[in-house]
Amino acid sequence: MPVTFSVNGKPAEFDGPDDVPLLWVVREQLGLTGSKFGCGVGLCGACTMHIDGAPTRTCVMPIGDLQGRKVTTIEGLSPDLGHPVQKAWIELDVPQCGYCQSGMIMAAASLLSRHPHPTDRDIDQTMTNLCRCATYTRIRAAIHRAAEVAAGTIGSGAPSGTGVP
Amino acid sequence: MRRSVSRRFVLTGAAVAATSLVIPIALTRTRATERSTDHEITDWIVIAANGQVTLGLSQPEVGQGSYTALPQILADELDADWKRVEVQFVTGRPAYKIAFRQEAPVQKEGASMSTTVLYERLRTAGAAAREVLIRAAAQTWGIDISLCRTENGFVINSRGEKLSYGQLAADAAKLPLSAAPPLKHPSRFHLIGKPVARLDTPAKCNGSAVYGIDVNVPGMLNAAITTAPSFTGQIIAIKNEGDILKMPGVRAVVKIPAIDYRDGSSQPSDGTTRYNAVCVVADHFWQARRALVSLDVTFDGGAHGDLSSDKINAALDAALSAEHGVTALVRGQPRAILKDHAASVIERRFKLPHIAHAPHEPCNATASYNNGAVEVWGPVQSVSACQDAIAESFSCPADKVAVHVTFLGGSFGRKIVPDFVVQAVHASKAVGRPVKLIRSREEDTQHDVYRPNAGAHLRAVLDPTGYPLAVHARVAGQSLFNATRRNWLDHTPEGDWDESMVDGLYNQSYRLPHFLVETVDTPLPVPVYFMRSVGSTAAVFFWESLITELAHQAKIDQYAYRRHLLSADPLALHVLDAAAKAAGWETPPPPDTFRGIAYNCYIGRGGRFKTYVAQVVELRRVADRLAVKRVVCAVDPGLAVNPNTVKAQIEGGIGFAMTTALKSKITFSNGGTDQSNFFDYNLLSIDEMPEIVPIVLPSDRPPQGMGEVVLAPIAPAIAQALLHGTGRRLDVMPFPDDAFKAVTP
Repeated sequence: MPVTFSVNGKPAEFDGPDDVPLLWVVREQLGLTGSKFGCGVGLCGACTMHIDGAPTRTCVMPIGDLQGRKVTTIEGLSPDLGHPVQKAWIELDVPQCGYCQSGMIMAAASLLSRHPHPTDRDIDQTMTNLCRCATYTRIRAAIHRAAEVAAGTIGSGAPSGTGVP
Repeated sequence: MRRSVSRRFVLTGAAVAATSLVIPIALTRTRATERSTDHEITDWIVIAANGQVTLGLSQPEVGQGSYTALPQILADELDADWKRVEVQFVTGRPAYKIAFRQEAPVQKEGASMSTTVLYERLRTAGAAAREVLIRAAAQTWGIDISLCRTENGFVINSRGEKLSYGQLAADAAKLPLSAAPPLKHPSRFHLIGKPVARLDTPAKCNGSAVYGIDVNVPGMLNAAITTAPSFTGQIIAIKNEGDILKMPGVRAVVKIPAIDYRDGSSQPSDGTTRYNAVCVVADHFWQARRALVSLDVTFDGGAHGDLSSDKINAALDAALSAEHGVTALVRGQPRAILKDHAASVIERRFKLPHIAHAPHEPCNATASYNNGAVEVWGPVQSVSACQDAIAESFSCPADKVAVHVTFLGGSFGRKIVPDFVVQAVHASKAVGRPVKLIRSREEDTQHDVYRPNAGAHLRAVLDPTGYPLAVHARVAGQSLFNATRRNWLDHTPEGDWDESMVDGLYNQSYRLPHFLVETVDTPLPVPVYFMRSVGSTAAVFFWESLITELAHQAKIDQYAYRRHLLSADPLALHVLDAAAKAAGWETPPPPDTFRGIAYNCYIGRGGRFKTYVAQVVELRRVADRLAVKRVVCAVDPGLAVNPNTVKAQIEGGIGFAMTTALKSKITFSNGGTDQSNFFDYNLLSIDEMPEIVPIVLPSDRPPQGMGEVVLAPIAPAIAQALLHGTGRRLDVMPFPDDAFKAVTP
């Protein structure tokens, strides 16, 4: 019995074992490789997507639980890198290797939707995604910046300090 | 200026229809490039008729920022319009190779050397291209080249007329390049030295950046692999292959021969081959993984199935206490002085474990073996090592192995060893189709090529003023060079020694009249390799901890002590003073705040560069614990080509090194690794990350290395702060968790 759900607003279907992780269905069946595989046990967060708006580690989310649900991946967060989190991430050049950043951005977007002005403590407690490159300094700053961008305060994301002529 | 999000990124694209993800620039200059409107000006620069400038990148992007910094150098000398620049990975030419120590040049990223080595080469290429564009314009106008200048993708003459690089490219491509074109005066740089926004950031923010694990080629199958837990083990039996082959999507069960970790090649297929891994190949990775979990495979332990951490630690202790080591350095009369002052010798002994690279993207590769022709795609840190290993493993010419390099989701040295690529080629050969082989996190952790263990026993005597008079340093551990690079060993009549074991210990400029540095190699069957900052993370921990101990016993301030000992080295003082000043070292810290200072000059392999680093760590009490809350880090990296990426390396390098100092430990039993995933090999999390204050000092020196240089001082700086805060000395890494318990009520 196929599972039917939606991904980034488009209908999707999977006909296979119920316990296949959503991450692999999205990456392989749907060809959306933005969400990453880092650990397979829900510890690193590289696989984070939104399911009905809630941040979820999809490497341990069985596809059988997806019936009728709405999935948003990094590819669907915005059509044009226009989400405040993406704007802030670009403005501050957060990524180094970048592998964790799809999941990190999805987690940050979710945090901001629940806490429009998160404190450092909110960030510490919620942002449990791992970053091996330790870009945490800029992640924290970018979350605060994204909050400003989302609130419409202090400009809307013109990059600063780029030195580009 | 708003970054253009319509910029094409050649290393992107979730699904790729073409057979190649990245199309290399033509191998010879006279061969036609991809489109007839693309004109190759130099090995590094292709200009399209519409003005698009494609800059070649030879160094894999592992997060260090080469994707931006190296093209900046080309674009600046070229006077290209940065908004029209696109980056493309290139391979297949001598220009793209660099020499590590005395070896033949290879295409490889590592040793923090890329910018230092390529700086002049790229400037020359950019300047030579600019020169032929000017000449092409001058010819078109019938004027002298002295009446022409360049700006932002145009040649402009004294009458104000303009020709774009796009218009000039075809003619310029026909002109011979000067070998020594005049380079810009640094005062005219408009990109070099500027914190230019990273070109790969947008793609890394919308899921479009393609990593090895994302590769998709036509006809591709997927594979999951499991390897014998013991490093010397092999497959004894596979009992249910028939059942596995019946599982949905499964195409094959393939035994893989063991890999020689010195070069990543597999053993020859003959009667003696040890098959130590098995992979399941299926239509989809999740099918391969499910099948692999059900595979009934038995391995044995092999020759060293009894390898254990107890044995390793015992060997390390014995080596530290041994009568003699191999002398790496001796000056003055250290043994005599230590003997004469036996009653006042200060001693410290240290032990550090093996640790794993743990790149966030686990090792993976996509390979196509087709009638002896091999093509691979993936997160490859050394194109040359990959080609050589495949050539050796499959008896094909190295330069015919096509390697397509994607973004790397972290490497830190891991993905230089092409074992995981060779394994993918074996799988492809077995099934006759391209195969993408992905390691699980468990597989990646347990079959890493580890940073070796290291231990030290240090003995010192102070002079009457409290400064070190004589030091005897004995460093022991599994020698990286002996295991993987015997041609890099130093030779003495007593035996060979491995410089990486004493990097940052034997070659510092601290004043010390009597000094003996000895090493003892404790060879082990553990696969080892270079990991970001190599041996310096251990050796500088030993050295700086000793200096801390000596200053502590002499009751001299830690900053003043180091200042005194480094007083003959102005560049050392420069960073030390900058860090101390920014940290407010000379002002007493607030209550429940404790500081530690450390210094290191990171000397690049073969002496290629010197980057000076000083750090001040601040611990603050949070509830009943001391937490690392702030790190001031002053760096003299020579010219910072991109201060933005240099600061990122400072921030990230400190965080990476804190993982090593506070968490990383690999232990062994039954011949193999105990740890498997992030629950028992964990990484620093955001709540543990301190505030970083990066200070990049201006310099007249050319660009020096940045990738590895800030790692080593963090552990001894934290240890010193803990000494100040709790009185406890730390002689192991990772630091025990209870070391951070606050002492005062």
